[in-house]
Amino acid sequence: MTDFAIQFDKVCKAYDDLDVLTDLDFAVRKGEVVTIMGPSGSGKTTVLRVLMTLEEIQDGVILVQDEPLNKMYKNGDLVDADKAHVRKIRSKIGMVFQNFNLFPHMTALGNCIEAPMYTKGLSKQEASEEAMKLLAMVGLADKANQYPSQLSGGQQQRVAIARSLCMHPEILLFDEPTSALDPEMVGEVLKVIRDLADSGRYTILLVTHQMGFAKEVSDRVCFIDGGKIVEENIPSEIFENPKTERLQQFLSKVLEAR
Amino acid sequence: MDWRWDFTFEVVMPRMIEAAGVTAWATVASFCLALVGGLILMLLKQHRSVWISRPTTEFIEFIRATPLLVQIFFLFFLLPDFGITLPPLTTGILAIAIYNSALCAEVYRAGFEAVPRGQWEACVALNISTYRTFRDIIIPQSLPPIIPALGNYFVAIFKETPLLSFVAVAEIMQISKLIGAEYYRFTEAVTIAGIFFLVMSLIAAFMIRQVENFVKHRIVR
Repeated sequence: MTDFAIQFDKVCKAYDDLDVLTDLDFAVRKGEVVTIMGPSGSGKTTVLRVLMTLEEIQDGVILVQDEPLNKMYKNGDLVDADKAHVRKIRSKIGMVFQNFNLFPHMTALGNCIEAPMYTKGLSKQEASEEAMKLLAMVGLADKANQYPSQLSGGQQQRVAIARSLCMHPEILLFDEPTSALDPEMVGEVLKVIRDLADSGRYTILLVTHQMGFAKEVSDRVCFIDGGKIVEENIPSEIFENPKTERLQQFLSKVLEAR
Repeated sequence: MDWRWDFTFEVVMPRMIEAAGVTAWATVASFCLALVGGLILMLLKQHRSVWISRPTTEFIEFIRATPLLVQIFFLFFLLPDFGITLPPLTTGILAIAIYNSALCAEVYRAGFEAVPRGQWEACVALNISTYRTFRDIIIPQSLPPIIPALGNYFVAIFKETPLLSFVAVAEIMQISKLIGAEYYRFTEAVTIAGIFFLVMSLIAAFMIRQVENFVKHRIVR
């Protein structure tokens, strides 16, 4: 056992002719909070999507807690992973999407108990009790019986966070969690993410454009461009002392836009 | 015009009411089978394996491109050659169901494609099985928008049932033709047949509206 939660080894991913990830090497230790940033089209979201098995990779190996994600050992041989293996690895990972992706025909509570009830075999009451705790944690206990359309964007995203926590993931992926929100709702979502990061219970991989937040919450920031990690370091070094020209350009553009 | 009320009430109506039952049964049975069949065809058409999706696509095209009457005749006269002898009504229901399955499959496809991709991705991220994903997430969201279209098929199937008179099923059209031939009086029988179809159509349309309203208030949010 290494103390890595996630390891990418020479991972390649392409859509048709377009290379998105090219020989990406990347590792995250258990309990680490890592922010991935980069220009649009740099492959930062793809890193999360291949981890969540929403996309297949063409080459390389991804290890989740030392177990290969897309392969498995069978009688000592490394073969393509079967469904059960993928589901097992996937159960360690939770993902929060840019557009929340809540189920619109279910209440906030219904959204939270759907997966635990049928994949973990909990009774409706057990699942609801646990879900209510997590909804309370994100400050939405009083909204449990509201439908997503009755909630603000910030509230919807907090429900989505509670929903993914209900599956007890050890690794949390946040894909631009505040990008679809009105500015005044960004804070409430970031606060929840900060609490999760501070709790130290989760390994967190965050894709965001909130530079200030990334600086404050991350143990490490990876700057990715052209499907490769161009520079990675502790946040203060990345933001105050960028070494590569590419990162310097990126930061100056981002700061200019402010 | 020579219209006889006694003939209408004593001869035509009793037999037509009985025939209306056959028409109603043929409609409901065909529609239910078509709903299930359409869903199955759609799922097969979307199947990952080309060996399944390709033949299904061809089958749907074949069904859509040939007239229903030909298919009814085909089943009625050819199935016995393969050792399958079914009553005319069953054969007819089967033919109408298959024909409309192919049409419903397209409606289902449109409904499923209207569900945002993010919903599927959320299900993957939450490790929800494919079966549950369809049952709890995708179908409840794709059904309400397509209910009006499915309702149209219900009325369409109803209006296709007179084709069954070609294989001697005792539905409304067949009985009105029989009465006409027996008594050599077509006026009352054909008129009553028309009125029956009209009334039953209106009832069907009303029922569909009720279902639409129910779904709108219960499922859609």
